[in-house]
Amino acid sequence: MVCYCGDFHPHWSVLRHMVKLEKIEYKPIPVRDLLVEIKDLSELMIDLAYSAALFDSKELAEEVLELEERVDTLAYLIDMNVMIAVRDAQDAELLLAASIVASAADKISDAAADIATIVLQNIGIHPIVRQAFEKVEEHLIRAKIESNSILVGTLLDELELAARIGVDIIAIRRNKEWIINPKEREKLEEGDVLIARGAPHGIDELKGLAEGTIRKLED
Amino acid sequence: MAKKKEQFKVIVDKLAELKDTSELMIDLAYSSLLLNNRHLAEEVQALEEHMDELHTKFEQLVLSSGFKPEESKDFLGLIRLGVTTEQIADAGAEIAEVVLRGLTPHPILKLAIEEAEETVTRVQISPQSSLVGKTLRQAQIHEETGMWILAIRRGNVWLRPKPNTIINQGDVLIASGYAEGEEDLEKLSSPNE
Repeated sequence: MVCYCGDFHPHWSVLRHMVKLEKIEYKPIPVRDLLVEIKDLSELMIDLAYSAALFDSKELAEEVLELEERVDTLAYLIDMNVMIAVRDAQDAELLLAASIVASAADKISDAAADIATIVLQNIGIHPIVRQAFEKVEEHLIRAKIESNSILVGTLLDELELAARIGVDIIAIRRNKEWIINPKEREKLEEGDVLIARGAPHGIDELKGLAEGTIRKLED
Repeated sequence: MAKKKEQFKVIVDKLAELKDTSELMIDLAYSSLLLNNRHLAEEVQALEEHMDELHTKFEQLVLSSGFKPEESKDFLGLIRLGVTTEQIADAGAEIAEVVLRGLTPHPILKLAIEEAEETVTRVQISPQSSLVGKTLRQAQIHEETGMWILAIRRGNVWLRPKPNTIINQGDVLIASGYAEGEEDLEKLSSPNE
């Protein structure tokens, strides 16, 4: 990450220390599983980061920083697992790709975090630019499921959000765990943070449903 | 003011192109890795060069827009956003390079669900196709054929598929999935052949 020292980021030091850097311990997880996760998360981060910038959403920017921490951990774990798996020159040749891909995914994640930082430091994007994007892009939002929401305990496919309100749930954050492209049988829980994409009307409705201000899903 | 609006439109269009191209590159780069497909990897490399040109043009547009000192912060945001699109594109090119250097035969890179019989196919949308004029969300291509749309090529422009992208006659859809779905997709895109 590059620091352009200037007057525009009084919160810089705060941001850099928001994430407490912890030692990442080796865990024996198949490299393949780790690669799938780092791929999915880095893709989600780009999506979230661009939306955060174009719609000036601090909420989405915070989720990006949340994800960056996880991607860092994954990149370390991939390298550690690769190192342990290599026994000879042939292994080294075969596993090199895993390490390169992890490093590229980490770069993607760093770039996304840079975008999030632009938003959180109030550098911002010119309002006219934002207005232009509002017309062409589908919106992404973050909505947290409150205890009084009718979504608590329902399965995703029961809700038929895509058909009814034109909204797709692209990820769910449950505490520190991320569920990317959740399956139809995923059960929603109180406290889940939904990341959803759709037309402005639909996502407003989803937010209302999650926060318990809307008590009934339109047909 | 009208002139200024016009100027902004050009900047916004360029930024949208940078953003979309960088996202498309990541999609194609990961797909090239999953499918061990050199063809897709080469497209990523070609797009990277295109990105470099786009980025230079974008920076020139922003810098020559004659902004006032009090607007400098907003324009700084634009410049920085441009830089990050470029970084994302570079990361995409690095992933594609792994494929082009032949580093992927290891099963570890056949990520999860992806299987050996999965293929990449391209189909062109004929005027008779029922898909013409539909958005990707309405088209339900995955539900109908099991194929996932990776990218759309419209003339010389590559588009990243989004739910509200409208399918035009003549578009080339690049899709991945099992071989069985290929035929179904061909029928959908050119029903008379």
